[in-house]
Amino acid sequence: MSESIFYFLQQIANGLTIGSTYALIAIGYTMVYGIIGMINFAHGEVYMIGTYVAFIALAGLSMLGIDNPFLLIAMALAVSILVASAYGFSIERVAYRPLRGSKRLIALISAIGMSIFLQNYIRLAQGSRDIAMPSMIQGGFLFGDPSGSHIMISYMQVIIMVTTVLCMIGLTLFITRSRMGRACRACAQDIGMTNLLGINSNNVIAVTFVIGAALAAVAGMLLGLYYGVVNPYIGFIAGLKAFTAAVLGGIGSIPGAMLGGLILGISESLTAGYLTAEYKDVVAFSLLVLILLFMPQGILGKPEVEKI
Amino acid sequence: MKSMVKKTLIGMGVSAALMGASLAQAEIKIALAGPVSGPVAQYGDMQFIGAEMAIEQINKNGGVNGEKLVGVKYDDACDPKQAVAVANKIVNDGISYVVGHLCSSSTQPASDIYEDEGIVMVTAASTNPDITLQGYELIFRTIGLDSLQGPVAGRFVAESIKPKRMAVIHDKQQYGEGIATAVKSTVEEAGVDVVMFEGITAGDKDFSALVAKLKRNNVDFVYYGGYHPELGLILRQSAELGLDVKFMGPEGVGNKDISAIAGEASEGLLVTLPPSFELDPKNKGLVSAFEKKGQDPSGPFVMPAYAAVQVMADSMNATGSNDPYEVAEHMHKASFSTPIGDVKFDEKGDLTSFNFVVYNWHADGTKSPAK
Repeated sequence: MSESIFYFLQQIANGLTIGSTYALIAIGYTMVYGIIGMINFAHGEVYMIGTYVAFIALAGLSMLGIDNPFLLIAMALAVSILVASAYGFSIERVAYRPLRGSKRLIALISAIGMSIFLQNYIRLAQGSRDIAMPSMIQGGFLFGDPSGSHIMISYMQVIIMVTTVLCMIGLTLFITRSRMGRACRACAQDIGMTNLLGINSNNVIAVTFVIGAALAAVAGMLLGLYYGVVNPYIGFIAGLKAFTAAVLGGIGSIPGAMLGGLILGISESLTAGYLTAEYKDVVAFSLLVLILLFMPQGILGKPEVEKI
Repeated sequence: MKSMVKKTLIGMGVSAALMGASLAQAEIKIALAGPVSGPVAQYGDMQFIGAEMAIEQINKNGGVNGEKLVGVKYDDACDPKQAVAVANKIVNDGISYVVGHLCSSSTQPASDIYEDEGIVMVTAASTNPDITLQGYELIFRTIGLDSLQGPVAGRFVAESIKPKRMAVIHDKQQYGEGIATAVKSTVEEAGVDVVMFEGITAGDKDFSALVAKLKRNNVDFVYYGGYHPELGLILRQSAELGLDVKFMGPEGVGNKDISAIAGEASEGLLVTLPPSFELDPKNKGLVSAFEKKGQDPSGPFVMPAYAAVQVMADSMNATGSNDPYEVAEHMHKASFSTPIGDVKFDEKGDLTSFNFVVYNWHADGTKSPAK
């Protein structure tokens, strides 16, 4: 294989890594939108909180003497998912449920308020500086000639992609096979009707928020380990990117969020690789504009959804 | 008409407040403006501890014209918009002397306000040459310029590293891009081939695409113009993705946090920094004063901040006046003996001489002279 193909594949691998995490966060936006038709702008902050909790858990657990990196990561992941889910649940309870039935704009403002509150609360509690963590998993797979053209995929990138795929499979099984999943789909179709049929839609909505938050915590933990830094402001841009991914793929559609995340990640990576890193956000968001111009419902979105 | 009445009323109120202040307390306030929060707050700390130490020692030696100096901290978070708000607040608070700001992009807009409002400003950290190009009389700095730092870095690269394919990356900000451009033109004059000159977005976290591109271009040396949060991540991701080349950066990356972010990958990073004033035997007493307070005097902006306060205080004493214009006039003419050596300002308010030195950075956050 020639050098340029290796380079292309390397950029695709980099794009898939970052795209996977966008997809994980995007699920939270798209599921909530699919059911109650509202954009949960505080979702990016849940991701940020997930990263903080993971860092704190990793530091705490390693102080307790656990030194197996995989055990450490698994335990920290569990703690992070638990805490972030609690946040997701409480955010819905405190900021959105009391406003259910009011105008959508009101819930939206409440979401923005929640986002500002969480960001500043973490800033006050944890300080506004970058908190850094040494990399726990080093090294990677090398394909090709080490001194010539080759692809290098770090173990951390592999972990990110594999975890994302597992989460997506789990979520798909949950949605398509379980009772609760069926209730979720029913609520997405017609929330009034499901209430009449004896399903408590409040519970379904709470579950949606918890799932979104848990996946955001997974993304937060993975990216925290990958980059090794966290500050209270990472939620904003990550949330924006994930929201873009959700819209790109068709908001309300779970496969759409996955696809949208991957497309966004790959387009960023290819732009940085072939044009210049300065323009990667420009190209990614131009892509969004173009897709919305020609496919207003997004790539996999259903045209009949009109809840704005 | 209404607004005029309002302005007059505000003006009266302010002058009444000022009169009250000057009558009530015999003290001279110095505003310390810089990032208390935000990603580069570490550098703010360096500036604050240096300036506070100077204030403390000057007060111990009798203060200025019989009055005590008082330092008041203002947080600009290294954000140009907030810097303007801080500058206006300093004006409203009736303070006539400022040490700060830190980031060039904050200092630039703030210095306009200080010059207009008759406030003397000395920055101990902003190195962008444009700041003093406006022909201001009240704006000074106790640190060298990017136009000095860039060539020092560039000459070192051309003479000691001799890269065949060099990349210059910057963060598109006034400081980073300015210094990266200076480095690029210096090394190109010396015949070094710069194969990549590219900007990244400050605050970005994923540089895997950039690292892949550096590898593809067979780059053997990278200069980065910007601050440590981004370079730390670039180093870390380079190590993970198997890019094994030497990196170099300006004093904006020379901070222990880069070792926290990049870990082992920060070993061997080259950094241009102001010389280690804390190693100068003349500063022994001062260094032990810092250590007694549990503070680290080795940060690049600590001693320049000390000098910033000192030149203002010395000038107030020499002129016997607290009038900013008289003080500034004296600062332009006189020569001062400070912890950063003998200081003399040129007509723009820049130091007439300042040396940058190339250091090797180590993974434990220490540094040693390169070569």
